[in-house]
Amino acid sequence: MRSSVALCLLLFNYAVHSHEQTPTYPKWTVSGVSEVKKTQIRLWNSRPDIEYYEIGVFDGDWQPIPFVTAYKILPVKYLQEVKVDIYIKKSNIEEARYVCSLSKLRSNNESQTLLVTRICSKFK
Amino acid sequence: MKKLLIALSLILSATPIMAADIDGTVESRCTVATTVDGKYGNPNAYTLTTDPASSGQVPVIRFDTTLANAYYAQVTYPTSFSSSPSLADNVTWTGAVTLKAHGESGMSGYQAASTTTGAMRQYGLSVAGSVWFQSTSVAVYGGNRAFPGGAYKAVVLAECVAQ
Repeated sequence: MRSSVALCLLLFNYAVHSHEQTPTYPKWTVSGVSEVKKTQIRLWNSRPDIEYYEIGVFDGDWQPIPFVTAYKILPVKYLQEVKVDIYIKKSNIEEARYVCSLSKLRSNNESQTLLVTRICSKFK
Repeated sequence: MKKLLIALSLILSATPIMAADIDGTVESRCTVATTVDGKYGNPNAYTLTTDPASSGQVPVIRFDTTLANAYYAQVTYPTSFSSSPSLADNVTWTGAVTLKAHGESGMSGYQAASTTTGAMRQYGLSVAGSVWFQSTSVAVYGGNRAFPGGAYKAVVLAECVAQ
């Protein structure tokens, strides 16, 4: 137990570069256009190595569902919060299960493992 | 003095009571963070490994959740290079995803309760708090031939999927 706590404290001391998305369970709301519904997610980027996130909407089998946003790959600066409006046809709402944001990497010249993060909210 | 006290009590009783409500909601969320970057060591000409004994560094990923049973953590170790010099032969990949540390005692069973699908390991985050996973990987070039010189990159995918 003591060693576990010590390890946690040690790991907490590393610089944390994170990706966050809320809400966990978004809801579809009216969009102002008939036959089209809207939802909103919030992204937070504290990864200095990431400048772009890709948005995707998927069904229960992780097949992509058509949707509309201002940008499918959107710029999110370091330490910036972005709210993304996502529009979908009413006919696709029953199929839509997940809305996800995926970090997009940039290249550099070191042999390393890179970390791609993806967070998915679920329509219940 | 008595009159003053009576007057004061009358004023106080006439003062409307203002109730200041403080509202709040606990919003469920998941944060995925890199705590240690991964790096490949090159113990011999045909192996790249994250093993610290071979000058590599194992990537560590932290998942923070604020509500229990709201998310799955999914970590996938690499099975190909995302960028590398041109390779004429096959690369054999091995790897593992393991629980590195946990902030709550109820998380100690995460590894035993996890499931795997190929290179991906899924953990049900049944306790709110912070948990750290590490992802080791080893790439061996076909026929023990030397890897061509250059930079090699591989991707660890860390996902937090709402349950």
